[in-house]
Amino acid sequence: MASPVEQFQIKTIGPDLHVAGMDISFTNSAAFMILATVVVGVFLTQSMSGRHLVPTRIQSMAELSYEFIANMVRENVGSEGRPYFPLIFTLFMFILAGNLLGMIPYSYTFTSQIIVTFAMAITVFIAVTIIALLKHGTHFFSYFLPEGAPVVLAPLLIVIEVLSYLSRPISLSVRLFANMMAGHTMMKVFGGFVVALGIFGVAPLAVLVALTAFEVLVAVLQAYVFAILTCIYLHDAIHLH
Amino acid sequence: MGLAFRVGVELVAGVIVGAAIGYGLDQWLGTSPWMLIVFFFLGAAGGMMNVYRAATGQGLAVGYDKNPDDDGPNGVGPKGSDHSDGGSPDGGKKEG
Repeated sequence: MASPVEQFQIKTIGPDLHVAGMDISFTNSAAFMILATVVVGVFLTQSMSGRHLVPTRIQSMAELSYEFIANMVRENVGSEGRPYFPLIFTLFMFILAGNLLGMIPYSYTFTSQIIVTFAMAITVFIAVTIIALLKHGTHFFSYFLPEGAPVVLAPLLIVIEVLSYLSRPISLSVRLFANMMAGHTMMKVFGGFVVALGIFGVAPLAVLVALTAFEVLVAVLQAYVFAILTCIYLHDAIHLH
Repeated sequence: MGLAFRVGVELVAGVIVGAAIGYGLDQWLGTSPWMLIVFFFLGAAGGMMNVYRAATGQGLAVGYDKNPDDDGPNGVGPKGSDHSDGGSPDGGKKEG
């Protein structure tokens, strides 16, 4: 029987390409990333091409997702967050498309690769740090010493604050990756039970049905969490404590 | 479930970052294992600080506000004076 983690295997599509000792071959992971981008692009352009005053169903979906993120940015970052809306909207739609495409049987979930989520998280982290430095200059470093803290404790508190700041990209990436990987592994394990138990396989099958619905929820929720945490980090960078 | 999982990951991330920095410093300064021990605990403290912030709703905890009639920026601290958009009445309606 196939191993439950076999679904996460990276397979090369086409020729093996090596540049400067690095493997840059086109993989199934890359293929699904391109597919996610294409799906989002087609969905947004096609649904809005009609520009009906009273939206059709598909136009309504596009408008809802736009307004959802626009409200999220306005509520959590404030009006200064406007310029960063495209970044957050792109991140949200990309992760959402990746998570939901992964729910299709035989597809590949690229958000279950730690390197993919970490690349997105470290991009957000670096961008947020640069924004904070540009906005506040050296005043940004006062962020690491809580106001009114005794000076004696400063060496300890600064180290702890810096560590808690540095742990942001880790927690941001691990959360998305762990959720997707654990959920998909669990589905495959229960799928294995269904086959192995024969007629009694209806019991794990019932669990699997519930688990699949739950996994769709997790797919949407984790895209939402990633986007809202990016908003919170942006808020911190713009307003400082 | 969202908040619980967040808190757990936050704690682990702090420890991972602390231990990684401690290990790196040990390799660099040749002080093994002291930096690893010190930074492991500092990282755990940083992680707990993140958890505390997430749980008490200051700074980082946004998005898990279950209170629908709270139209402020969901718990982003009291200093959030950005009500310039007319205090949206639909604040936090899509939690569920």
